[in-house]
Amino acid sequence: MENPYLPIKTEVLDVIEESPAIKTFRLKPDTPLHFKAGQFIEMSIPGKGEAPFTPSSSHYEKDKLEITIMKAGRITSMIHNLKKGDIVGLRGPYGKEYPLPEFEGKEILLVGGGVGLAPLRALFLALTHDIEKYKSVLFCCGSKTPSDIIYKDCVLDKWQSLDKKRIKFRVTVDRKDDSWKGNVGLVTTTLDKLDINLKNSVSIVCGPPIMMKFATFKLLEVGYKPEQIYLSMEKNMSCGIGKCGHCRLGNFYACKDGPVFRYDKINHIHEIWD
Amino acid sequence: MDSYFINKPNLDRLVKSLSKAYKIFAPAKSDNNRFYKKIGEDGLGDSVIGEIRAVEPIKSFYFPARTKIAEYFSKEGLDKTERPIAIIGAKSCDLVSFKVMDYVYSQELFRDPLYVSKREEGLIISSDCTLYGETCFCVAIGIMPYPTEGFDINLSEMEGGYLAEAGSSKGGKIIKEYFKLFQGAEPYAQKRDSNRKKLKENLLEHVKKSRIPPKDSIQPAFKGKFDSSLWEEVSKTCVECGACNMICPACHCFILMDQKKEDGFERLKMWDSCLLMSFARVAGGANPRKLLAQRMRNRIDKKFNFFPDTIGRFGCTGCGRCIEACPGKIDIREVLSKL
Repeated sequence: MENPYLPIKTEVLDVIEESPAIKTFRLKPDTPLHFKAGQFIEMSIPGKGEAPFTPSSSHYEKDKLEITIMKAGRITSMIHNLKKGDIVGLRGPYGKEYPLPEFEGKEILLVGGGVGLAPLRALFLALTHDIEKYKSVLFCCGSKTPSDIIYKDCVLDKWQSLDKKRIKFRVTVDRKDDSWKGNVGLVTTTLDKLDINLKNSVSIVCGPPIMMKFATFKLLEVGYKPEQIYLSMEKNMSCGIGKCGHCRLGNFYACKDGPVFRYDKINHIHEIWD
Repeated sequence: MDSYFINKPNLDRLVKSLSKAYKIFAPAKSDNNRFYKKIGEDGLGDSVIGEIRAVEPIKSFYFPARTKIAEYFSKEGLDKTERPIAIIGAKSCDLVSFKVMDYVYSQELFRDPLYVSKREEGLIISSDCTLYGETCFCVAIGIMPYPTEGFDINLSEMEGGYLAEAGSSKGGKIIKEYFKLFQGAEPYAQKRDSNRKKLKENLLEHVKKSRIPPKDSIQPAFKGKFDSSLWEEVSKTCVECGACNMICPACHCFILMDQKKEDGFERLKMWDSCLLMSFARVAGGANPRKLLAQRMRNRIDKKFNFFPDTIGRFGCTGCGRCIEACPGKIDIREVLSKL
């Protein structure tokens, strides 16, 4: 029987600084993990502990993956000290991925805040891999300040010119600085005046709990139905396999029934935004 | 299933013989409590087969409080040189707790290899309760004080010996192999049924004063009390020690912990408590259950709302251990009565 608690030995190939508090780690596990966009993995520092993260790279890349991590606690601080060549552990992939077949033929709205752009980057790369399958993609990105924007060269530049007809961006910051010429305001402000046929649209939201809450309410306000909204619920996913009990959300475990949930499946549960 | 009678000296012979293949544990009395004790070639000695459940929950044997579950990055299986475990004298409430544990640890997609192998290789010789404790309330939530399923062999104590019933093919095989130690069940079967009936009636009378709602109205009542002040009231004397979680045979939550060892790193799996502040906290400090009252409600929610929905039964066995363990005198029977 496979030991689900045993991490796979993984080499850190590169460390990319995204913002003062966020880094992307390029990793090569000894055995490929074959994740799908939206699924998560457990990354460990040998002997110190592990934490759950959703890969941010394309799931079409088979033997390597990237994980974008914000320094937020004990483990993530240790991860931020990693250097090229260091060894870490990975387990997974776990949980449910974004249901790409359900998105086909639709106008797709991605709403991301801060480091919540990480899973959406994996999703965006999967969507653009077969962009002809989807009607359009509008990617709304919010960050605290211009220096907090991650994947800057992609979000502000490269991705913008991928397919100008089909793929559009709305980037905003909560607080601007002298360099910033773009939108200022919370990410919810980018959801006004959507040029989208709501009947044929899905929205996918990922970000800090408070941003997810208000983005969801805003989407409902502009006319999305709960069954058209997909959320990435980040709870304390410790074992990753529905056993340790930490990430329970009503009758679900975020680790095995999520982390991607359709809003209508969880909107009756207490405590979902906390 | 087939039943036979086995007298006390013959049970002792059986246990002695089984001790060659199994690491056997049976409860023994100390003051007014029963604690599991390892049984060797000396046989059952002062073991107590009947009476009531032991103090320790049976999960301790299959999912120990602290176990090594992996070694970085070794693919080799964990040490399995130990003999499989046999428990003698497990009670109905202990067996019911396996319904929860098996669901959590043996279900696909991911099976817990250590738990699964211990369960598959282990042997359970359960027994009827012949007494009830002050905190026992199994019958109030639909569990009988005698095993009805989940055992390999069950023993019902009566004068001079036990009525032994096989509950699995493993148990049947053992009876067949040691057939000369057993004799016909007549006239003991009738006596067993009347003993069971009497104990059940006495226990029903005992739990009456707790005013626990009827079994089928517990979950709906809980749902109606979600936003009630009850949770704050109940948690007033909770000191967040986690004793109720540790001692509960159906509490399955654990925490993974990594540590350094001489020549590498190892991962431990340790019992965890949902009443502790850090239980649901995520990196960065967000915590869906910051308040103790929320965590108290969560504990009851898991047992009387989540498990009925997921496995069709409570995540509580009515064993009353948490009542005895709580330094704040929180009584789950009282909580249920206030729903």
